[in-house]
Amino acid sequence: MAKKVLTVCPYCGAGCRLYLLVEDGKVVGAEGAPGRTNEGTLCLKGRYGWDYLNDTQRLTKRLTQPLLRDKSGELAGVSWDEAIGFVADRLTAIKKKHGPDAILCTGSARGPGNEANYVMQKFTRAVIGTNNIDHCARV
Amino acid sequence: MSNGVPEIEDAKCLFIFGYNAADSHPIVARRIIKAKEKGAKIIVTDPRRTEAARIADLWLPIKNGTNMALVNAFANVLITEDLFDKDYVAKYTEGFDAYKEIVLRYTPEHAEAITGVPAADIRKAMRIYAGSPTSFILWGMGVTQYGQAVDVVKGLSGLALMTGNFGKPSVGCGPVRGQNNVQGTCDVGCLPNVYPGYQSVTDDKVREKFEKAWGVPLSPKAGVTMTMVPHLAQEGKIKAFYVFGEDPVQSDPDAGHMRHTLDHLDLVVVQDIFFNKTSMHAHVVLPATAWGEHEGVYSTCDRGFQHFNKAVEPKGDVKPDWEIISLVATRMGYPMHYDNTEEIWNEMIALCPKYAGATYEMLDKYGSIQWPCPTVGHPGTPYLFSGNKFNTPSTKGNLFAAEWRPPKELPDEEYPLVLSTVREVSHYSVRTMTGNCAGLQSVADEPGYIQMSVADAEAMDLEENELVWISSRRGKVMARIMPSERINKGTVYMTYHWWVGSCNELTIDNLDPVSKTPEYKFCAAKVEKVADQAWAEQYVKDEYARLRARMGCQTAAPAAAAEAAANAN
Repeated sequence: MAKKVLTVCPYCGAGCRLYLLVEDGKVVGAEGAPGRTNEGTLCLKGRYGWDYLNDTQRLTKRLTQPLLRDKSGELAGVSWDEAIGFVADRLTAIKKKHGPDAILCTGSARGPGNEANYVMQKFTRAVIGTNNIDHCARV
Repeated sequence: MSNGVPEIEDAKCLFIFGYNAADSHPIVARRIIKAKEKGAKIIVTDPRRTEAARIADLWLPIKNGTNMALVNAFANVLITEDLFDKDYVAKYTEGFDAYKEIVLRYTPEHAEAITGVPAADIRKAMRIYAGSPTSFILWGMGVTQYGQAVDVVKGLSGLALMTGNFGKPSVGCGPVRGQNNVQGTCDVGCLPNVYPGYQSVTDDKVREKFEKAWGVPLSPKAGVTMTMVPHLAQEGKIKAFYVFGEDPVQSDPDAGHMRHTLDHLDLVVVQDIFFNKTSMHAHVVLPATAWGEHEGVYSTCDRGFQHFNKAVEPKGDVKPDWEIISLVATRMGYPMHYDNTEEIWNEMIALCPKYAGATYEMLDKYGSIQWPCPTVGHPGTPYLFSGNKFNTPSTKGNLFAAEWRPPKELPDEEYPLVLSTVREVSHYSVRTMTGNCAGLQSVADEPGYIQMSVADAEAMDLEENELVWISSRRGKVMARIMPSERINKGTVYMTYHWWVGSCNELTIDNLDPVSKTPEYKFCAAKVEKVADQAWAEQYVKDEYARLRARMGCQTAAPAAAAEAAANAN
C-alpha cells in the first residue's frame, strides 16, 4: 500500500495540489488532491512528472556530489568542505578586487521554494553586499 | 494576477491576449472552458489559432510584433464610441488627457494597417469587453517577451481601468506566471530592486529595517537583472555569476553569446539538481535536493502561498539549497544557520507586513493563502485593489499609452521568416525534469519541432516530420517540420525545451528597456531543406548522444527518441 504525501506540483504557476504515492521510499505515482486552483484535477505534467526523482537518465543525470574543475579542466568530485571553501574564497577575492557589484546571484523559480530563495537574496544582499539578485522571471 | 484563478470561470467576458493556456497551464485552461460553458463571451488575440481561439466568440489574428498598436486602438474605441466608465475614470485614475492624446491617433483603420486585425473586429471586441458586467484580461508571454512589453502591459491594464474592471471578483488582469514558483521568487525578493514583500531597496526606512534584522549595512543602490549579464560581462562589470536552479545556456537568448560570456567570467557557480548545459561552463557545481526531496512554500500565479512536503529521501551527497547557501555565507564570515524551512519562513514573514499571517500552521489549515495576509487567522485576499485603491502614491490607477515600435530584427530577403518561441504541453522549461520522465518524454522528444503554416510548408515542399535546418544571424540548428492549420503564414514557432533543435541558438538578445525581458517572440530566420533525410536522422541521433555523453550519460539513447526517429522514417 503506497503512502500518500500531500504536496504541490512543481510544473507551472497554477499550483495544483497533488499526492505523491510512495512505496519503499520510492515515488511510484501521483494523483490529484483537492486544491484551491485544481479541485482534484491534474494535467499530464502533474500526473506523470515525478519519475525524474528516480534518476532515469533519459536525458541527463542527477548530480550526486559536489564537482570542482581540476587542473586538466575536467569537473571532478570533491568533498562539500572543499567545494564550499572554493566558492567562499573565490567570491571573497572577487568582491575584494572588483567590488560587490561585480557579482550576480540568481534565485530559482522552479523546485527550490520560497525559503531557499529568501536565503539566496539575503546572502546576496547581506554577505556579498549587492542588490544584483534576479531569477528566470524574464526567460 | 490582480484576481484569482478560480474567478476566471465566473467572468462574463474573458479577454485573452498572447496567452495559450492549453499548452502552458492546462489547469487554468480548464477554467476558460468552464467560463464558456457558463455563458461567458471569449475574445482571443493571438497570431496562432490556439485552443482558446477555437472556442472564442471573436478571434483577432494579430500580426506578430504589433501588440501596442492594437491595444492603443482598443483604447481609441473605448473613447470614440463612448464605451468607457467616466465616473470610474474620474474617481480612480489619472493621466487621461495624455493617454487620450496618444490613443486617438490609433484609429481602428490605422491599427488594421499595422496589425492585420480588421477594424470592425477591433470595435466589436471593445463593445463586448466594455459591455460585459465583469471582464477579466488574461495575458502571457505573447505580451511580455517583446522589446516593447511593459508598455503593452500598462496598455492592457489601462483597458481594465477605463472600464472599471478592478476591485471586485472576476475582473482585472491576469498575467499568468509561467514557472511554478516565479511568483514566489519575486515575492521573496529575488529581484534587483526590492526586498521580500516588494519593499524597495532604495527606501531608507525599509532598508534600515532589513539592516537591523540582518545585522549588516545594505546597499542603497538597485541591482542589475540577470538578462544584463552578457552585456555587463562584456563591459567587464560582472565577474562572477552564481547560477542557482537555472540553465541560462538553454533558456536565455543567443546561446552562443551566453556560452562565450560564461567562459570569460572569473567564476561560474552552478547549483542544481541535474547536470545541465550551463554546468559545462561552471568552475564548481553544487548538488541540491529536488522537489519531492525537500519541503517549503511555493506561490501560485495568483499570489497563493502553499506548503509542499517532502516525499522521499534524496540519494547521493546532496543538500537542500538553503543549507548550501548558508554554508557559503558562514564560510565568508557571516554566520547563517537554520534548522528547517519553517524557521526561514518565520524570519521572512516577520519582515513582510503583506505576509505576516501566512504561518505554516495557517497554510496547512487553509491549504492556500493569497497575499496580502496581514494577520494570523486572515484567510488571504482573492482579489486586489478593493475600494479601487492602487499601489501608487496617489492611490489612483495610471492610464498609460505609448507609440508602437516594431521589433528589432525584421524579416528580410536573407531571413524571410519570423521566429517566435513557445511551449510544449508535455515539457517544462529547460526540460531537465520532464525530459527524464518516461511518460512525458514519450509525448515529444528531440530534436523538437518547427510549427509552420500549411501554406508555407507546401510552398517550400516540406512534409510533416521532415528534418530541416533553421537558422538566424546567430546560429543554426536542425528540427522537424510540423505543418499546422493553426499557424499564420510567414511565422514559425519553436518550443524552447530541446537540446538538438535548441531555438535559443537563434533568438535575439533584444531586451525591453524596463523589464529587461528578451524579445523571444520575434527574430528573423530561414528554413532550409535537407536533401538527405537519412543523413539528417543520423545527425540528430549522433548530436543527441554527443550532448548526453558530455553530461556524463553513457547509456544508450532513450527508447522514446529511437521510436520517434523510427516513426519518422
